[in-house]
Amino acid sequence: MAILEAECLTKVYEEGGSRVEALRGISLDLEPGEIVLLEGPSGSGKTTLMSVAGCLLSPTSGRLSVEGRAVDFASAEDMVRVRRESIGFIFQSFNLFPALTVLENVLFALQVRGRRTPDYEREARMILEQIGLGHRLDFIPAKLSGGEKQRVAIARALSGGSRIVFADEPTANLDSHVGLEVLEIFRKLAKEEGRAVLVATHDSAVRKIADWVLKIRDGQLIEEGPPVTDPEKGHP
Amino acid sequence: MVDLSMKMLLHDRLRFALTAFGVAFSVMLVLVQVGLFEGLIGYAADTILPIRQADLWITSRNTQNIDFANYFPQNLVNRVRSVPGVERADNLMVDFMPIHLPNGSSDGVMVYGLTHYWKWGVPWNVVKGNPLDLRGGPYMFLDDFATHRYGPFQVGEYREIVNQRLKIIGIMHGIRSFTTIPVAFLDFYRAQALTDITFGKTAYILVHLAPGADREAVMAEIRRRLPYNDVFTRKAWAKKGQDYWVFKTGLGFNMGMIVFLGCLVGVVILAQTLYTTTMEHVREFGMVKAIGGTNGDIYQLLMRQAVVIAVTGFLAGTILAFLIKPLARKGDLDLLLSPTLLSIVFVSTVVLCLLASTISFRKVSRIDPALLFRS
Repeated sequence: MAILEAECLTKVYEEGGSRVEALRGISLDLEPGEIVLLEGPSGSGKTTLMSVAGCLLSPTSGRLSVEGRAVDFASAEDMVRVRRESIGFIFQSFNLFPALTVLENVLFALQVRGRRTPDYEREARMILEQIGLGHRLDFIPAKLSGGEKQRVAIARALSGGSRIVFADEPTANLDSHVGLEVLEIFRKLAKEEGRAVLVATHDSAVRKIADWVLKIRDGQLIEEGPPVTDPEKGHP
Repeated sequence: MVDLSMKMLLHDRLRFALTAFGVAFSVMLVLVQVGLFEGLIGYAADTILPIRQADLWITSRNTQNIDFANYFPQNLVNRVRSVPGVERADNLMVDFMPIHLPNGSSDGVMVYGLTHYWKWGVPWNVVKGNPLDLRGGPYMFLDDFATHRYGPFQVGEYREIVNQRLKIIGIMHGIRSFTTIPVAFLDFYRAQALTDITFGKTAYILVHLAPGADREAVMAEIRRRLPYNDVFTRKAWAKKGQDYWVFKTGLGFNMGMIVFLGCLVGVVILAQTLYTTTMEHVREFGMVKAIGGTNGDIYQLLMRQAVVIAVTGFLAGTILAFLIKPLARKGDLDLLLSPTLLSIVFVSTVVLCLLASTISFRKVSRIDPALLFRS
């Protein structure tokens, strides 16, 4: 059963008399343990699709259900609830809280998600240990490398038990070696922990871990299927 | 618990310090201005409230304050003495007169004249001399505040008021008029005789009530017997004088404007800083929303920041005001920082800081967390 089901999502921006159709009836399913790659040129609607599917934006039309519950886009509270309970975000520019340490960044996310039990610090430490940042707990983001920042962002996205992870260009600001490490983390999240991961990227290396690829252009799904082998580079 | 509001605030310590200083400056401005004002207005009652034996004051009709005395026949005091419930009533002369100084210059002096000083506990704060001696000749008590205007003087020296040479036989401390003119105490008849205008007249009648007397009934009877005079309780008379200076001279309006401007400066500084800070942290606030935080969570965060700035600014501003207090005293000004004033300013500071933060609330409520996708 899909953990996220989107059906005929449309999003129209109207401003100053101009009308832009950013999404034109896109449907998608995310299964637990699945990594879906979202590809498309700039302006194709990738970000809008992630924003709508991630309950950051309400669509103009269409339906979305997350973990079996239909999202009521008319209710800001319901969208907040879905984000808090089910979805974690990872952004290209990390968006960490610069005033907080690595541990505090994760702790704060847990707090916002309602985890204020005495065990929540242990939970945060455990997530950070798993992701290889146990030795950087008291560092502020400014003292971390790009890869470490992205790991903190991943740890924060995972905090609170989010079963769906949306990652936007997660390797764009990383060198290729560190990028591969981050992709390996994504693979583990999906295959070992059963989380669904939607990755929007131009990085072809992501194809190596993807189970399914969606290609969109001008707000429409133009192609989908399993990742195909790139004969020139010799990898899937 | 991770307190993001404090962490954000202290992450840029210089900005926090500047913001808190802006609030502190406003708090200090308001405290000093209002404190000086209260001290100044206090002078208007400085020669009324300490005469505790005077339960009632009788003035000529429509007298506005003690310094602007009008005169009425001195023998009216006998009518007052015969009112049931009056234990004692005496005339009090108050008049502004010229005093001639040893260096050849002249200045002003507020002359107070009373017959039975010891019965009324006047003058108070006596540093040297015995008020009983005032009846013995052309003598006077002079407040040491006069040193600032007349130059140094000692007991045993002479000064000339109008054309009467008077020997200084006593010195008081801290008795002054609202107009800052030094105060001298003379025997009633000697003060009365200094000018022709006051011959046979008095400025006020002091009344001490008999134990158990019905004050209202006594006042009503005095009003009946002295239909062309006003009768006040001590506190009401003091308040009337203070109200005169506050409301009829523009002093109160001026003070209100200064307080308003002080508050405005503080609110503008804080609102601007909080707004700028909010704008600089838009992505962080967006992130709070993205991980499931509500506008309410962010409002709380901003409110905590506003309260922390308000408390820090208040404490710093209060310390500054207390540091200015001795400097004001050197300038012969009383800076009154009463617990009531401090409480009012504290509550106002917190409320105004919270109001200032509402401008940021509006911005935050419109933050679209989807902006985080933009790098």
